[in-house]
Amino acid sequence: MDRRHFLRHAGLSGLGLGLAGLCPGQVHAQLQTRTQAPTHRGQEVTSAPLTQDAQLAYPFHGRHQQGIVTPRQATGMVVAFDVLARDRDDLEKLLKILTARITFLTRGGEYPQRDPRYPPPDSGILGPSVPPDGLTVTLALGDSLFDERYGLADARPRHLQRMTGFPNDALDAARCHGDLALQFCANTADTHYHALRDIIKHTPGLLMVRWKQEGTVPLLPPAPGDVEGSARNFLGFRDGSANPSIEDEALMDALVWIGEAHDEPAWARGGSYMAVRIIRNFVERWDRTPLHEQESIFGRRKMSGAPLSGSREQDIPDYASDPEGRITPLDAHIRLANPRTPETENNRILRRPFNYSNGVERNGQLDMGLLFICFQADLDAGFISVQKRLNGEPLEEYIKPVGGGYFFVLPGAIDDRDFLGRRLLEATA
Amino acid sequence: MKPHQHLIAAATLGLLPLAAQAAVSPDALVGPIAEYKLYVLDNLEQFVDHTEKFTAAVEAGDLHNAQALYAPTRVYYERIEPIAELFADLDASIDAREDDYEQGVKDPDFTGFHRIEYGLFHEHSTEDLNAYAERLMSDVNELDHRVQDLTFPPETVVGGAAALMEEVAATKVSGEEDRYSRTDLWDFQANIDGAREIFTLFKPLAAQEDADFVKRVDDNFDDVETTLATYRVDADDPDAGFESYDEVNKNDRRALAGPVTVLAEDLSTLRGLLGLN
Repeated sequence: MDRRHFLRHAGLSGLGLGLAGLCPGQVHAQLQTRTQAPTHRGQEVTSAPLTQDAQLAYPFHGRHQQGIVTPRQATGMVVAFDVLARDRDDLEKLLKILTARITFLTRGGEYPQRDPRYPPPDSGILGPSVPPDGLTVTLALGDSLFDERYGLADARPRHLQRMTGFPNDALDAARCHGDLALQFCANTADTHYHALRDIIKHTPGLLMVRWKQEGTVPLLPPAPGDVEGSARNFLGFRDGSANPSIEDEALMDALVWIGEAHDEPAWARGGSYMAVRIIRNFVERWDRTPLHEQESIFGRRKMSGAPLSGSREQDIPDYASDPEGRITPLDAHIRLANPRTPETENNRILRRPFNYSNGVERNGQLDMGLLFICFQADLDAGFISVQKRLNGEPLEEYIKPVGGGYFFVLPGAIDDRDFLGRRLLEATA
Repeated sequence: MKPHQHLIAAATLGLLPLAAQAAVSPDALVGPIAEYKLYVLDNLEQFVDHTEKFTAAVEAGDLHNAQALYAPTRVYYERIEPIAELFADLDASIDAREDDYEQGVKDPDFTGFHRIEYGLFHEHSTEDLNAYAERLMSDVNELDHRVQDLTFPPETVVGGAAALMEEVAATKVSGEEDRYSRTDLWDFQANIDGAREIFTLFKPLAAQEDADFVKRVDDNFDDVETTLATYRVDADDPDAGFESYDEVNKNDRRALAGPVTVLAEDLSTLRGLLGLN
């Protein structure tokens, strides 16, 4: 399948509209690049990123926001904010400013010139012309925004809630929750630092950063032979192997996007729930664990990513003929997370994580782990149910969730007259 | 106009003038700068006077009095920081925090107000503070001496309003300046006083260039001061000062952070607006 075909099928509608800011030659060049990209298999959301094309621009407008079924870029960052807006008018201004900035930043372009006696309008860290660089910025709202401040309580998405700690969590209040979250994803980290600084500069008095966490996934450059496969996490395992396919639109509508079939307020249709977890990995200890035990804990082969019952990463694990867990232990991570039973099908989530490395703990051990991000149409049926099944899993000895939060991804903005959050405000007017 | 609409206007940065009108002649700045120097010298005189009393209390071993004089003395320094900071050596020995030193509070180079604050409010003792008190007094006298002969650079004076707001945004909103005494709100108000003094002196010139800007800045100053005023110990007596920063609730921290950030953005354009490099 070629990339052009993929783009059409991944729900990235309005391609021509979204690229309107580019000259025709550029559009042509991009499509050329895409059709020439490796076509070994469909690019899934957690496939290792293949390219670093600085002119890659994902269309901003559409029924859904970007950064969800978009093939995962090489770098990601979640920033949670406290909203300082003092009333609904302020909140509307904030949402309009964010929409305008995201539109510009994801499209790329140049800033206006300004008298040098003033502070420059742009940080300048990407140079005079800002490339789109595959940037997506995804706007989501936290449960706390639906408190008494803005009169949104009656329109709260049904499953939106404040994240509460699971038994293995050691949550750090300074890295949890938020009124609003932005997920930045791009080819290079500097692109989302630039985008974040642009947004901070445009929203004084409206937003205050609460926490942020960045991460990366290894780029897999096109090469003959082995380009298949999900990117690896910092435990060395391929992560995302069993993700539902973004090419299956019906499945995305069932599992990821809120539609008429979901019991949610009408304004929320086209949105999704985002669960974010900052999960520290005890990598030194992991690296001192026998390979066989590591593979039993996950239920997959480390190098190939194949389930213990199969030989290739994409093989479907066979639990039916292994009811006692002789091949795949009953408490293996992948078996608990997705038992492959009819009644757990609606618990499936779309994972889109990044690996993080923050520095060093006081004990001299590395502070590394997973910036876990997943999307689902029903937070309770999705992440919360999956995590409840995972409670007590053997992997817990090697991981410690320390932060994150639950957020509701707003439906997309459909055109230049629309803005993110418009339907929520109208529903509560 | 709704009460808080002014707060947002700065967010639409694209609407700010692309080119400074540069209608302000350099001569027009002379008067406000001279007035500002008088303001600084007045505060400096008070600063020397208060530091004498404060250090005397420390040296006399009068813990209660020394604690009471700590915050009211610092106010005069915090108001004139844009000028005081021109002397980096003195600023470090007078006002550095333990974070500025690799060894923290035990670092031999850590002196000044915050070292004494550590003794008075964390150790609850004046013991071993005499040397710090002596050093502070001599540093403050030296600062006074140096400022008397100083020619005030226009960029520093006008830019001082923004510099003070950066101080507030960086260390006052988070409540990390006076971590032992929790008297941050005294410093907060003093930084605002100092910034507003500069803004007020140049306001007639700024108003010729951009009346909306002047209105917005004044309104945001008012908002900050209104919130701060709710934490005054005695509404009728400014000298009674403020409650502990620990008393500031989450909503008010937000209510302060908003206009402070807008002031920092807006005042960062004051030099450009007045045609200064």
